[in-house]
Formats: sequence, C-alpha cells, structure tokens
Amino acid sequence: MESLNSATIDAIRLLATGDSELWGIIAISFRVSTTAVLIAIPPSLLLAFMLANGRFPGRRLLISVFSTLLSLPAVVVGLTLYLVLSRQGPLGDLKLLFTQTAMVLGQIALCVPILVAMGHSAFQAADRRAWETARTLGASPLRALLTVMHEVRFGLFAVLLAAYGRIIAEVGASMMLGGNILNYTRNIPTAIALETSKGEFAQGIALGIVLLLLAFGLNGLLHYFQGKGRFAT
Amino acid sequence: MTSFINIEFSNISKHYRRRIILEGVNFKLKKGQCTLLRGTNGSGKTTLLRIMAGLEKPDTGTINTGLGEIKWRSYRRALQAKIMYLHQHPYMFDASVRQNIAYALPHGYSAAERDNYIDEALHWADLEDLAGVSATTLSGGESQRVALARAWLRAPAVLLLDEPMANMDQESRLRTHTLLRQLKSEGMAIVLTSHDEIQFQALTDRQLLLKDGKITTDPRNTQAENVSAFPIGQTARHHTA
Repeated sequence: MESLNSATIDAIRLLATGDSELWGIIAISFRVSTTAVLIAIPPSLLLAFMLANGRFPGRRLLISVFSTLLSLPAVVVGLTLYLVLSRQGPLGDLKLLFTQTAMVLGQIALCVPILVAMGHSAFQAADRRAWETARTLGASPLRALLTVMHEVRFGLFAVLLAAYGRIIAEVGASMMLGGNILNYTRNIPTAIALETSKGEFAQGIALGIVLLLLAFGLNGLLHYFQGKGRFAT
Repeated sequence: MTSFINIEFSNISKHYRRRIILEGVNFKLKKGQCTLLRGTNGSGKTTLLRIMAGLEKPDTGTINTGLGEIKWRSYRRALQAKIMYLHQHPYMFDASVRQNIAYALPHGYSAAERDNYIDEALHWADLEDLAGVSATTLSGGESQRVALARAWLRAPAVLLLDEPMANMDQESRLRTHTLLRQLKSEGMAIVLTSHDEIQFQALTDRQLLLKDGKITTDPRNTQAENVSAFPIGQTARHHTA
C-alpha cells in the first residue's frame, strides 16, 4: 500500500513537472489515435448511414459482419497487419512496420467496426422524415446527410467517444505494429505495459491518470452538450 | 422568375410484396388547381403522393415533364426542387422555428436578405411570436404552419400534403385552410389527401377517389377532369440562387 501511495505521488509529480518523456508519450498517443479516428469517421459514417437507410443486396450481411467485428481482438488486428506490413508481406516494400503510420492503420481497423455498427444504430434511431423533409426542401444529398447527422448528433458523439476510447487504450495492435520505440511509437498503453513489467509504477500510474481524465473529460463534454439544450438559436 | 414544367404521371403501379397498392394510376397536375385525393386507410393515397414527390420508386410507370418521358431516378433529381411534400405530421428539425423556416431558403443570399425573407415568412404564417421557440415543442397546428411557411418561402410548383388537418382543433384548421388558400391563389398546384371532403370543399377544384389501387373521378367533382398535361408555373417569390 505504501509503495502504491509513493508511486502515485511520483506519478502526480511527473505530470506536474512536465516530464518530457511522459508528455512525449502522451502526445504520440493523441496524435496517432486522433489521426486514425479522423480518417475513419467520414467513410464509416457514410457506410453506417447507407446501412441504416439504403436497400441494397448484401446489406444485412454487412451489418452482421461489422457487428461481429465489434469484438475483434486488437492483437488479431495487430497480427494481421503485421503479416501484411512485414518485410515478406504484400506491403513490405512500403516499410511501414514499426512506424506511427502502421499504428494509425491498426487503430483505423479497430475503430471502423465501432463507428459503422454503432453509427448504424444511431442513424436507425433517426426519424426518416428528417431526410425526406431535407430533400423535399431542396437540400442536396450531402446537406440532407449533414442535417440527419445533426439530428442524431448526441448519439453520434457517443459513438465517437466509444471508438476513441477503444483505440487510445488498446495495447495489442500498437505494440505489434509500432514496436514500442521510445519517442517514436511508444504510446500510453504500450508505455504502461512496459513500465509495469519493469516494476516502474510511477509513469504507468501517471499515464493511467491521463487516460482516466480523458474518459471523464469526454463524457463530461457529452453530458454538457446534452444538458445545454436541444437546439441553439 | 417563372419557369414552366409539365408533369403527367402515367400508368403508375406499386406493390408491397404481393399486395397491390397502386395499379395503372394516371395523374395530371395543373397550375393553381387544388386536388383532393380521397380514399380509405391503406388505399395508397400516401404512396401516390410519395411517388409524385420522388420519395418512393414506382414499380412501373412513366413521368412526362413535357420534354418526353424520363426515368424515375432522373425525375427525382429534376423535380424534387419543384415538388414539395408535407408529411401528415411535418418534421421539425431540432432547431428554432426561425431556423426551421430558414432551411427552405436556397443558399446565395446575403445575411440581410435571408433575414428579410425569413421575417416575411414568419409574418405570413403568423409565427413571429414563436420565432425563437424550439420547433420540436410545437403543437400539431403550429408545426403545420411552420411547414406551410417553408412552402411559402420555397414556393414550389406543386405542393403535396398528406392529411394536413388530421387531429387539429378548429382554430388550427381555419388557419391552415387560410394559408393553403393563399398558396393556391399564388398559382401553386396543390394535392392533398383526406378522409373528410367537407373540410376542404371550399378549397378544392376536383376530387379523386383512390380505390382498389385505381384512381377514379369522384362523382361529386366540382370541375371537369380530363385535362392534358398543363404547364405548372413555378411561383418562386425569390430567385433561386
């Protein structure tokens, strides 16, 4: 208990003093995860909308596939991409393994199923009249889509939080694809895993605090916007 | 601006699974004419309106806009801006009444012009007091007035209304009736559905009955029916940007 207390105090000190190694790891984590989610959002939400509102062959199969992929283990994504990106793999010539780009690819693969499957549910909750009203008022398909997204914005924001929370905290794919290289591919979860294995708890606790604060902050934002009112004049 | 279009729907059919909803329906639209489409529940009134609005695809049928027959997909793109459909319960976006009305205004206006048009629409529908209120909290009658204000602002050539006065109190009916009469007087072709012909008697020029998937001229019609594809004038009060 005493060692936990002292490790926690050390962790807070590391955060407060602006330890460059610690904040470098945090920066890499946010950069990689934010890039991944920003790349994944447009195609994923468009597909989610089409699955919710379109009628085309294979639609039900696609819904089932993305729902199944929700529980895809991160290490399986890591392993698959590792084989694709490794020197003998089909994309080995690109030399992406153990780079932030490889980590971004892994995190995209992890968050797309969440964005599609949960986004599909959010769009299904939308009133179909929203799309039809927008279209009959002369909106282009893109404007009508943005209007529907605005109507279900709280649901979509929750989807975004779930996807971001999943990828910023995953360790398997980042470890396998990034290689946990200090100041380059070491992010929060891989650093926690490494420091814990070394018996150095202070940095791990400090990074854990950051993840917890992030979760609190994002959820606080969601509740703030939900409580602020249903519309802005 | 006045642009003319001819709209004639021919041989429209629609099935849901094995059930026939519409079969060989012909429908012509005439400028300034108000048509009441009657029929029992499930007779296909709403489906016909939605097909005319480009919101549903017919199984068969042709649409002639005066430039020859066109496919449904092309029709939807070409005419969705000129034909406006109002749901039985008009959808209100999660925004203020003012913003809901502003949605109907095309892009390309200055802020001052937009404000001016929206103020006019609010005044026209007697919604000035509700301008800042969340549209999702409005009553059925108030929502219908917002929807009609959008129509007034957008000024489509054809306005399709699905049961526009269902579940309304007497005062709301009178207001809606007055607004519809004004839209009609501006040259808008109006097609509305209802079970009750009495409340629309003063407004409608003709009544059509939809029964067993087919359209027939109601024997209580007030005007002759067999009109050719008439030019429908777009009554836009503003230039499309």
